[in-house]
Amino acid sequence: MRSIYIGLMAFAVTILAASPLFAEQLIWGIQAEQLEYRIGNDTDVMAWDVDALVGTDELKLVFRSEGEFETNGDTLEAMENQLRLQAPISTFFDAVGGVRVDTPEGPDRVYGVVGVHGLAPQWFEIDADLFVSDRPSFRFEAEYEALITNRLILTPSIEFNLPFTDDLAIEQGAWGPKLEVGARLSYDLVDRAISPYIGIHYERVFGETEDIATSEGKDADALFLTIGTKLFF
Amino acid sequence: MSYVHTLRAGVLGLSVAGFATTQAEAGTYNLTVDRVTIDTGKFTRSGIGYNGASPGPVLRFKEGEDVTINVTNNLAESTSVHWHGLILHYQQDGVPGISYDGIKAGDTFTYKFPIIQSGTYWFHSHTEFQEPDGAYGAIVIKPKKREPFRFHREYVVQLTDAHPHAGSRIMRNLKMMPDYYNRQQRTIADFFKDAEKMGFDAAMRDRLDWGEMRMMPNDIEDLQGFTPLINGKSTAQNWTGMFKPGERVRLRFINSSAMTYFDIRIPGMKMTVVQADGNNVQPVTVDEFRIAVAETYDVLIRPKKEKAYSIFAESVGRTASVRATLAPTKGLTAETPKMRTPPLLTMADMGMAHGAHAGMDHGAMGQSGDKAGMHKMPDGKMMPGMKHGTGAMKSHKIPDGTVMSGAAHASMDHSAHGKMGMKAGDKFYAAGSGLMPSAANGGKFLSYSELRAMRPLYKDREATREIELRLTGNMERYIWSINGVKFSKAEPIRLKYGERVRFKFVNETMMTHPMHLHGMWSILDTGKGKWDPVKHVVSVSPGTTAYMETEVDAPGQWAFHCHLSYHADSGMFRKVIVEGGPKAKEASLQPGKGG
Amino acid sequence: MNNNSLVRPFAALVLALGLVISATPVSADAKKHGHGGGHANMKKIGMAGDAAKVTRTIKVVMHDNYYEPENISVKEGETVRFLIRNAGEFVHEFNIATGPMHVTHQPEMMMMVEHGVLEPDKINWEAAKAMQKSMGHGMHNEPNSKLLEPGKSGEIIWTFPKHADLEFACNIPGHYDSGMVGKVKLTH
Repeated sequence: MRSIYIGLMAFAVTILAASPLFAEQLIWGIQAEQLEYRIGNDTDVMAWDVDALVGTDELKLVFRSEGEFETNGDTLEAMENQLRLQAPISTFFDAVGGVRVDTPEGPDRVYGVVGVHGLAPQWFEIDADLFVSDRPSFRFEAEYEALITNRLILTPSIEFNLPFTDDLAIEQGAWGPKLEVGARLSYDLVDRAISPYIGIHYERVFGETEDIATSEGKDADALFLTIGTKLFF
Repeated sequence: MSYVHTLRAGVLGLSVAGFATTQAEAGTYNLTVDRVTIDTGKFTRSGIGYNGASPGPVLRFKEGEDVTINVTNNLAESTSVHWHGLILHYQQDGVPGISYDGIKAGDTFTYKFPIIQSGTYWFHSHTEFQEPDGAYGAIVIKPKKREPFRFHREYVVQLTDAHPHAGSRIMRNLKMMPDYYNRQQRTIADFFKDAEKMGFDAAMRDRLDWGEMRMMPNDIEDLQGFTPLINGKSTAQNWTGMFKPGERVRLRFINSSAMTYFDIRIPGMKMTVVQADGNNVQPVTVDEFRIAVAETYDVLIRPKKEKAYSIFAESVGRTASVRATLAPTKGLTAETPKMRTPPLLTMADMGMAHGAHAGMDHGAMGQSGDKAGMHKMPDGKMMPGMKHGTGAMKSHKIPDGTVMSGAAHASMDHSAHGKMGMKAGDKFYAAGSGLMPSAANGGKFLSYSELRAMRPLYKDREATREIELRLTGNMERYIWSINGVKFSKAEPIRLKYGERVRFKFVNETMMTHPMHLHGMWSILDTGKGKWDPVKHVVSVSPGTTAYMETEVDAPGQWAFHCHLSYHADSGMFRKVIVEGGPKAKEASLQPGKGG
Repeated sequence: MNNNSLVRPFAALVLALGLVISATPVSADAKKHGHGGGHANMKKIGMAGDAAKVTRTIKVVMHDNYYEPENISVKEGETVRFLIRNAGEFVHEFNIATGPMHVTHQPEMMMMVEHGVLEPDKINWEAAKAMQKSMGHGMHNEPNSKLLEPGKSGEIIWTFPKHADLEFACNIPGHYDSGMVGKVKLTH
């Protein structure tokens, strides 16, 4: 696992360093779209979705970490870390290639990542990723910022995961999607660096995945009230 | 070494010539580059200044003087000093990587050059983000000959846009999130207001049109959140210049801002513009003028009453303003005007290439800017809002006024009815542009068209060739470029000594770019032939094409760039190489040969 | 803008401006014209003088954009011959009047510029004729002023009043404001 990370990192750094554009100021930043506490009916969850980025106009290396920690059971329900290389393919979109490593409770999973990231017409921020392995899946994420005022911002979001095969160890059934929708109302407290929010988060599984969940006595869906903050540095 | 040599030669020549020659004056000046504290009254931050302050000192030179300027770098990083607008040997121009290597931490670099011009200029660091961080000062050069105007006293009025964030952080934020600093974005409430005004469908269509392009009509200032200063003072800190009623006062306006254009007025007083970018212009009396980043304008005023006047400068995006005071007695102040409503860009300003997905007529938009009234607007499908215009407007194909400010309305009418004897719209703005300025008191607003050289520096002649420079960019990635290529990937522009090059600027972006060529004058084509004004900055509005001509008379290599700091640093920059040229010309720019 | 609204200010302009193009000054009391508010003041500022009564000649050189000398001193009631030379590269005016009179003349001069009659370095006679034709007014000679193209010379003979606050000035747009104006000091 570690060797994959190190290999990718070394590759990226080599490319960045070899680039003649290294003379330009390095672009870097850390952005937490979600860093929150979810209050549910049965259980509470700590969740995060953080990107750390470094690179140039031509090539960026993104470390993306997403995870959910169940406070009741003290268990890491899900954690995935990605190293993604991003390069522009059009005015508004980047191609993405990288690796995703999941280290939840239970077995580890490693995927190759191929995708696009960018800004669609009407200001939808889009991620569409194909996760390649012997248990491949597809994910689509979209986010929109609606300005109540220039500092009070409502951010609806949607995430759609579609596994192509069964992976019972992680309770996923072939073609049984998982849908997450949310709406978060944030206020830019300090520039755009710290923007606390409250919101709702709803998730639901369908199809085979739903069947697996119900067979294990779990709910197919869950609704959370969420409190957290966006961070941007 | 060669300086010493030529200097001695100069002195020798002098003694031979005796009384026939006036001795070239020599002056030595010392500048230190220091870490300073910038206090705007709203925030305090660490910045960079000269001789312990930001803004730095006013350097006062004399035309014909040989100056020696010792610049000592007290920073922990490399620095440079560029003499903005001065004609000099390229190795004295102060651009690291082009003129020289810069000045390393702890080093002293000695600049030596003859002063062969007069007027108002400024100096600033050309290294990374030191200029937006405060590294600037003013230059005033006294002419040899009597000036074509009279005044009793004078003040430098240097405008800056101090920002609480350091330049490198601003650049990073803009790269990560281009709208990071835009706090004038349209809100949901704005949508409903518009829906009430123009109908739900039209308002929705308008949002969809801009959303399709992923651009914002209120994206006029990339960088908001700054505090404008006059001579380092904010409104509350109130820089004050004294006068005696009846005196003619010369104000030397310098816009040393990193990113901000200002509209400037002195309520209750007319201003007579007598210089632009250091060169005398035929005097034109106005109520208000717009100063692009890095430009200078000298104006004369004549306060007659025993009362205070406000010098009021509001940013073109109307996100911030600053007031300074002119007073006959200490402590007097005048009213500080309120800022006007922010303008909105129109589709005319978008006359550009971004709309690949938006179905706009790019080609036509790029070229038509110089012909008010001939402007091809986007088609109806693209701009359904236009259909709601008045009959007259519709026939002139001007976009719907509802998305525009009142000011833009007025100017639109002018251009639409230009044939009927009223003043035609300003050709330096796209017809129907939301950026078209108008004076707060309804009076006269200075246009580039009204700048006429007092005494042309060069014989008017046909340009020997034309070079097209499309001003391009990718707003969402915050990459700025020329002809679609950013500096780091671009070949230098090669010019030949002795040619007269006509530069055609086609602004394909939605921002205004103040283009600055080092080392040689920019003769702005206003259509006045020999009276075309001689400048060092040419501001090109969105959706327009502007021309300038340059007599290539300075051998060496020079910088040529947009003077908005973050545009220059992200790629709207070129190196210009002037090939050939007599050795004598180079030598004439050495000390001892000036004047 | 319709024709009527154009004609009226222009008529006033032509008369009030005192756009002198003839080499011989017309010795006429400006009051006879009966036009324009400014002319009621004409007596106050003095009158066209009789060549025979000239006691002094003052040479005035017009530069871009200032006069030499910068100020003039004359005796009350004195008749002075002004020899005026335009040594500049622009058209200039030498006009004797009160400050407020100059100020009211300036917008009218501006109009001449806007109609192309006054170019920076010459008087456009074609444009002037065109204006004359369309407006029905000719250019008038005014005894208190002289408008000269670059390199041209002219003269004014002027009898000063006993008391007046007078300036000699160039009312071409921007020139007055940049300091092309001087005091006429009346002494005993």
